[in-house]
Amino acid sequence: MRTSNATYLVKKGITSVWKNFVMSFASFCILLVSLLQVSCTVLIMMNVNIVMSNIGATNQIVIFLEKDVAQADIDHVRAVLEKNDDLTDIKYISKEEGLEQFREDMGQYAELLDYLPDNPAPETFLVRVTDLTKIRYIVDIISSIEGVELVQAPYDFAEALVDIRNTLSVILAAVLTTLVVISVIIVSNTIRTSVFARRNEITIMKYVGATNGFIKTPFFVEGMFIGVLAGTAAWGLTWCIYNSVFALFDSELTVWRMFGLYGLIPFDGISWIVLAVNCAAGALLGAVGTTISTGKYLKV
Amino acid sequence: MVELKNVNVHYSSGVDALVDVNLRINDGEFVFIVGESGAGKSTLMKLMMREIVPSSGRVFVNGYNLAKLKGNKIAKFRRSIGVVFQEFRLIQDYTVYENVAFVLRIADQSMKYIRQRVPYVLNLVELANKARNRTRELSGGEQQRVAIARALANDPGLLIVDEPTGNLDPKRSYELVELLKDINRCGTTVVMITHEHDLVRYFGGRIINIEKGSVTFDENIGGHDEDE
Repeated sequence: MRTSNATYLVKKGITSVWKNFVMSFASFCILLVSLLQVSCTVLIMMNVNIVMSNIGATNQIVIFLEKDVAQADIDHVRAVLEKNDDLTDIKYISKEEGLEQFREDMGQYAELLDYLPDNPAPETFLVRVTDLTKIRYIVDIISSIEGVELVQAPYDFAEALVDIRNTLSVILAAVLTTLVVISVIIVSNTIRTSVFARRNEITIMKYVGATNGFIKTPFFVEGMFIGVLAGTAAWGLTWCIYNSVFALFDSELTVWRMFGLYGLIPFDGISWIVLAVNCAAGALLGAVGTTISTGKYLKV
Repeated sequence: MVELKNVNVHYSSGVDALVDVNLRINDGEFVFIVGESGAGKSTLMKLMMREIVPSSGRVFVNGYNLAKLKGNKIAKFRRSIGVVFQEFRLIQDYTVYENVAFVLRIADQSMKYIRQRVPYVLNLVELANKARNRTRELSGGEQQRVAIARALANDPGLLIVDEPTGNLDPKRSYELVELLKDINRCGTTVVMITHEHDLVRYFGGRIINIEKGSVTFDENIGGHDEDE
């Protein structure tokens, strides 16, 4: 196709947006609401993951070493723990430090410890796992290290957290999928109405020898153009909504920290990605919607 | 050239629209296809522009075997003919110029050619002064002429005209057929479908009569041209 004719088709698609303003505006609004819902859901999903990770990071595995363990064994345990990528925040507490901590914990009864014949506190390591789903597997590995007497891990906490995270992921994924499906259906139906209003034009074009590509191109461009506009508007609205909500959790309140509501993703860091994804999704929805909708009227 | 060989068209409603039609229209001919409403004239037109395919038999137009055309080949075939519909089928929001130009764009012609060709065909139908008017602002006769200009834009070898005088007064009807005769004299084959026998008798030429889906008459008769 000649460049002049291709340019004509693109221009025709864009001018159709204004010529059919009412239907274009309806498509724009539907796309805007759909994209806004989808982008907000995705951002919620991303932040829920962070919150769950924050809560998960409070897990602590306590590793007690055997009584009178040799310094070489302590070094060996430390080396094995440090080599394990699933562990973080590895902290060693010597017998003496352990006794001191014990004393602090006992408060006014601390002097009772003075009557003990020797220091009862064991050499201890404190570690955290980065992935709670692996906690049992990691505890098994640690237990098998030479010199380790006992490993205590918050299994119930870890498993409850993993369950909550999985359930939330499934719910949010289901919501997201439903929103996308509903969006495609509503968008195609809105565009179908717009195309229906111009079915005579399509039929005439077919009768005078237009190929399906020639007829579809302006509709395709129109759909994409509306999609990009709606994507940009959805991005702007997402920005406003997100920043308002983000401001609430951005303070250093203890209550937020308790619920893991810290370290949330700032919009500025991902704004270009959200814009690109919104525009691409809008263009795709618009283009797919028009392609589906025009097909019916091309069988002449 | 148009050739129909043993063509039958049977609609799913049970109607036999065409029954064993054999027909040949040579290049450069001017042919009237006449018949009462429901005789099968429109079905014949639909066959010739590949809107439908025959239930049996074969249809050849401009060297194309229409039953075998698929997808973009149908579009290519339609660009090789010109069709004027009874109800004009113009895009009402377009100007007269745009209605003619978009056929040339479909044929992927250059802008330079479009700028030369559109005024030329609008001159032929004496509508050059209305080029910038919206189609909906024109009278029925003017819209008919825009439809003819559009059909002629691609310089087709065959022009099919369906009931062109249905919306015109007698004077305009005769003028329109004169115009089609002029186009035919330039070498374009013209097939005009009509049910106005007076008009046909006046102009004469080859007449094909269709009744109940069959060709019952196919002969040349003398018209006023020959009488004069």
